[in-house]
Amino acid sequence: MVLFKEVLLPKCNESGGSSGYLPLALIMQYHIVVAVAICSAVFVDSRKIRGISLAYRKFYKEKKTFLCLDGSKIIPFDQVNDDYCDCLDGSDEPGTAACLNGRFYCTNLGFRPCYIQSSRVNDGICDCCDGSDEHDKRTRCPNTCRNLGQQERAALEAEMRAVDDGMHLKRQLIKEGVSMWQEKQNQLKDLQRILSGLQTKLEAHRKRKLEADAHQAKVMGVLKSPGDGAGGKTAARIFGQLDINKDGSLTVDEVQAGVVNLQDDRSLTEEEVTALLGGPGPADLFRFQQTLWRSLQAAKKVKIKADLRGDLGPPNEGPATRAAPSAARQGEANLKEMEEALETTRAEIGNLEKVLSTDYGSSREFLYLQGQCFQLVVYEYTYSLCPFSHVTQKSSTGAEVSLGKWRYWAGPQEHPYSRMEFEDGAPCWQGPPRTTLVTLTCGTETALKRVREPTKCQYIMELWTPSACEQQREARRRGVHSEL
Amino acid sequence: MVWFLVAGVLLVLNGVRAVDRSNFKTCDQSSFCKRMRTMGLDQSPYRAILETLELSDSRLTLQLINDNNKVRLLLELYRLQGNMTRLKINELKPLRSRFEVPDVLVGEPPTKPLSMVSRDEAGVVLSLGTDAHQLVLNARPFRLDIVEGARVLLSVNGRGLLAFEHLRPRKDTLSKISSTVGSMWDSIKNMFSSNTQKDSEGEETTEGAQEEGEEREEEEPGMWEETFKSHVDSKPNGPSSISLDFSLPGVEHVYGIPEHAENLRLKTTDKGDPYRLYNLDVFQYELYNPMALYGAVPVLLSHNAQRTMGIFWLNAAETWVDISANTAGKTLSGKVLDHAQVPSDAPQTDVRWFSESGIIDVFIMLGPKPSDVFTQYASLTGTQSFPPLSTLGYHQCRWNYNDQEDVRAVDAGFDEHDIPYDFIWLDIEHTDGKRYFTWDAANFPQPRDMLRGLQDKRRKMVAIVDPHIKVDSGYRIHNEIRSRNLYVKDKDGGNYEGWCWPGTAGYPDFTDPEMRAWWASMFAYDKYEGSMENLYTWNDMNEPSVFNGPEVTMHKDAIHGTWEHRDVHNLYGLYVQMATAEGLIQRSGGVERPFVLTRAFFAGSQRYGAVWTGDNAAEWGHLKISIPMCLSLGLVGISFCGADVGGFFKNPGPELLVRWYQTGAYQPFFRAHAHLDTPRREPWLFGPQNTALIRDAVRQRYALLPYWYQLFYHAHRTGEPVMRPLWVEYPQDVATFTIDDQFLLGRHLLVHPVTEQGSQGVSVYLPGVGEVWYDAHTFRRHDGDQNLFVPVTLSSIPVFQRGGSIIPRKVRIRRSSTCMENDPYTLYVALSPQGTADGEIYIDDGHTFNYDRQKQFIHRRLTFANSSLSSSNLSADSQFTTASWIERVLILGGQEPSAVTLRTADGSRSLEFEFDAATSVLTIHKPGVNAGSDWTVLLQ
Repeated sequence: MVLFKEVLLPKCNESGGSSGYLPLALIMQYHIVVAVAICSAVFVDSRKIRGISLAYRKFYKEKKTFLCLDGSKIIPFDQVNDDYCDCLDGSDEPGTAACLNGRFYCTNLGFRPCYIQSSRVNDGICDCCDGSDEHDKRTRCPNTCRNLGQQERAALEAEMRAVDDGMHLKRQLIKEGVSMWQEKQNQLKDLQRILSGLQTKLEAHRKRKLEADAHQAKVMGVLKSPGDGAGGKTAARIFGQLDINKDGSLTVDEVQAGVVNLQDDRSLTEEEVTALLGGPGPADLFRFQQTLWRSLQAAKKVKIKADLRGDLGPPNEGPATRAAPSAARQGEANLKEMEEALETTRAEIGNLEKVLSTDYGSSREFLYLQGQCFQLVVYEYTYSLCPFSHVTQKSSTGAEVSLGKWRYWAGPQEHPYSRMEFEDGAPCWQGPPRTTLVTLTCGTETALKRVREPTKCQYIMELWTPSACEQQREARRRGVHSEL
Repeated sequence: MVWFLVAGVLLVLNGVRAVDRSNFKTCDQSSFCKRMRTMGLDQSPYRAILETLELSDSRLTLQLINDNNKVRLLLELYRLQGNMTRLKINELKPLRSRFEVPDVLVGEPPTKPLSMVSRDEAGVVLSLGTDAHQLVLNARPFRLDIVEGARVLLSVNGRGLLAFEHLRPRKDTLSKISSTVGSMWDSIKNMFSSNTQKDSEGEETTEGAQEEGEEREEEEPGMWEETFKSHVDSKPNGPSSISLDFSLPGVEHVYGIPEHAENLRLKTTDKGDPYRLYNLDVFQYELYNPMALYGAVPVLLSHNAQRTMGIFWLNAAETWVDISANTAGKTLSGKVLDHAQVPSDAPQTDVRWFSESGIIDVFIMLGPKPSDVFTQYASLTGTQSFPPLSTLGYHQCRWNYNDQEDVRAVDAGFDEHDIPYDFIWLDIEHTDGKRYFTWDAANFPQPRDMLRGLQDKRRKMVAIVDPHIKVDSGYRIHNEIRSRNLYVKDKDGGNYEGWCWPGTAGYPDFTDPEMRAWWASMFAYDKYEGSMENLYTWNDMNEPSVFNGPEVTMHKDAIHGTWEHRDVHNLYGLYVQMATAEGLIQRSGGVERPFVLTRAFFAGSQRYGAVWTGDNAAEWGHLKISIPMCLSLGLVGISFCGADVGGFFKNPGPELLVRWYQTGAYQPFFRAHAHLDTPRREPWLFGPQNTALIRDAVRQRYALLPYWYQLFYHAHRTGEPVMRPLWVEYPQDVATFTIDDQFLLGRHLLVHPVTEQGSQGVSVYLPGVGEVWYDAHTFRRHDGDQNLFVPVTLSSIPVFQRGGSIIPRKVRIRRSSTCMENDPYTLYVALSPQGTADGEIYIDDGHTFNYDRQKQFIHRRLTFANSSLSSSNLSADSQFTTASWIERVLILGGQEPSAVTLRTADGSRSLEFEFDAATSVLTIHKPGVNAGSDWTVLLQ
């Protein structure tokens, strides 16, 4: 059994740009490959070493026999690359298409080496830039490696510069983010301070209003004191209202049903009622006027329950009663103003807390996107992406459709901040709600670059931002540089 | 007013049913169908006037008279080459000529001499070549029986349902609506019952008889105008329908008359509507239903253990077919009783055809073997076009691939996931505002670049070209058709306009050869901008679909030249595909084979390309019905059939999608397609496991491409279906007669796709007493003539190779079929219990007509007998050079030899081999011989 550690090689169709630092390392490697390939070619039949990487070359030394790399079989060396698959792992046919599971090594001098599936050998399509995969000569493949190499190096350099620039911008954005975060925190503190101030004031106002109300009640109460015809009548009316069973006397239960605590509308206990009625046992109208009625008029402890009060009819408003209500009303207006201010502050705090509880990346590098919107016009549609908030599409005819509300970061585990998911947009005709997936790409500007709708009502957007430039990539690249 | 009420009632009634059904007529809503179906089963009013009989060498003519109305008909009888009889009935002197279907027959069918055996007052007996085959004509009532010895094979008008609504002048519109509700025929019969005897035969002039008859004829509602929903059919020519019945003694199984979402074996229709043949764009069709669908082939096959026959009813108007089960004694009468006997309790199937206009023109194909019927029908309407090899690969379609980048990404996706495919398709959105032959400037700015990108991968594209043409003065195609006056006309003579994808659209009159020629010329590379050699065509909506027309199609009173749309309706789709295929041939200077997919079709459409079963749904039932639907089409000549893999409407779950790929991989036309509103479903979007399952199914298809290609070559040469019901190969095995959940590919492969959700296993019927079958994946051997339970997992596709067969495969799977062109073959030799096997190998360039015009092909026979496998030439006068060679031979059910020797013209050499005792598979390594050469491999 041969143990072999695989050299990590990209597939041919992987572009160098997107796979980070690795290509550059391989560009370095190819020089070595050149040398070795030239040397070894002298010793071995070129057909036999076709499709084999340098690292594997040692297993294909001309001998009498060949051991399949998985160790499963020994075959005559003649049968290596003879266009018939003998080894289960396909290792006897690295240079032909005979094995379904085989792979062919493109040396690609001038570019980077890579593997292709052996099914791509001699299929009439040039896969290796050196054309080595089409060795049956039916298809002429020009060697494009040098060009590709140059292009890729240029592209890679350009990309590195761009990443450099992007990283520079990203650091600034992180810095900005830190102060913005602080600012928002301060803002939150300020708002909280304002809120508690408002609450205190409101307390005071409420108290004042209560006093004003009480004063009003007193004024009204005095006017309707016992002995006074109207007052007596009122006392009798209230008595009648409280006397649910109409037996001419009030029980503790009846009082509990009709009278509550002034401050908090709570029901009264039996003891409280007994005290208010001046003793145990049912009270007749006279005793009521002497005890509970006075307490009600004083409006200090107890009041008639709200739902009963309505039954009392309009207050008897004479000229003497006007001053008291106007003072109460004044208090009421102030109170309302206060309450509104309080609500507004609370809402602001809520918003800010929401903003501050959102994940803006490991260094809050995406915080700067908060509150911004980016637009892109595609044909008759204007797309608008507001990160951490929502996405819309507006047609030239003016109709605006929601393409989703911010949901979460949806990148894969290793790059969690590479994708944003927006869900629950306007529903499609006969279909589910619209959704939008935003992919974030490293760029030196922040812009919405592309919008697609691969499946009806499922949008994919590409947002360029320096914040998507990878810290890690830069570190690796520096490592490569230092190796130089 | 009355009509509005009727229409209103119908709307209400239909509202209760499924929404889609209300758009389409039931028999009751189609006035001629209702009239014909309520016709009594009494004795036929028609009798033959024997005095008028004329017999030339191959043609007999005879007048028939309807004793009720005195209208005379002319009967023509032909004995055709290849054991067929043609029967034509027309009015003797029609008021106007009646439509006879052109362009469907490949030529005037060659005749054979017809001779009179005997003649008396009762009728005549004609010989159909041999003593045993005779045609017995009974005069009163008119009836025809085809007998073989003492056995009646088929009777015509045995139930007296011959009907012929003669053309008549239009009368005062006031008399149009009759209050009579009862059958017109009953009243006519009563009226004439006393007169019939008095009329002296042949004395009266037919004109006089007609006038007399007509004066007395009551007319029914719907004869001169009818309304369906809000659509009025002005019927300027009045009633014109025709009907005829056929009795098939001893027959219990009938098949064919596609297209219906129905089992393979047709059902009796007594309890519901007849099967309808009227090409319609049906939105979300229902299963197991006689409703008409997109195409119509008026061919019915009958089969019993002794004989297979066919009835080809050549009529392109709206047609209905009633099928009922009977006993033979009930309908046997007249002169035939002197010649033949049928046990009175023998089962019998009665078939009745009725069409709205045209003439009766019937071909009776007498078999006797299934393959004879295929040959007979092919001799009339032609065979399956031989498709380019690549079109037998996998097709990736979707409504829609949005832009060039989308196409590029999907193409790359196949490479990334190592799944082969040959064609990517563009639906209607690729055009500039549904103007066919154009490209959307924003999404497809550089179509040639895109096509070249595909060509670099040796792949191809299909773009849709529908027949409805946007009415837009800025659109070249529209302007030219209009200025050439080639549009279909409405009843008032203006250009017919209807709604379709582009909005208001005109419909080119494809029945006009000038229109077809012009259309074909539009496919020239310099006319169809952005097109290239690797761009092929898809004709959809060619029923034709008219969104605002009656039953979503064209008004019957629209005009095609001198004919009404009523006459030609079912032909329209055939003509569209015909013109398109011709265009693709012409653009290559006649060198390249075309590929055109059509949704609508008719008898003869097989000559122009492929069909698919239209807008199905992502449901298990739709997967299951794809088998009988394609089997039925194959029986009537259309082999290149497929259903949208995955289902067009709705979203398939991964299991259904995988099962559909596995099924589609073993059906002739293998294309995935999906509605615009469905989520993406390219094969790699359902997780690595499902991607692997789909990849495996597609790869199985590609490995078998040599066999598929060979089957299509045979279908093209002989008319035999590629995908066959079991009874075609096992015609005497009654157990096979109703099987439609499994099928044969050619003779050698039996496929039983898994079409049930969560299936743990399938019960496979392996036919053939004394035969053996080999599991195509495990090579395990099973006896024939048994029901075998096959446990399945999600990766299983139960496929069996018949013992006694040799199948060539190309097991090196590449990115496309074209990439596999020069690859070597592996021969799968499955031995019969007698230790023999045979098969074929067919090779040509895969895409041109050179196989035909220059005989550039290899066709070889592979035979295994007496422990030796040899390849011999089947076509000495053909020539072709291939780079392909024989890589490997697998002998299933083999024994271990002591040595294996290859013998060629160059001498002998020994070959390496290995034998797996556990599976009895002998693998012979690398014979290395060219696939086009003579060779023998000897086992010692």
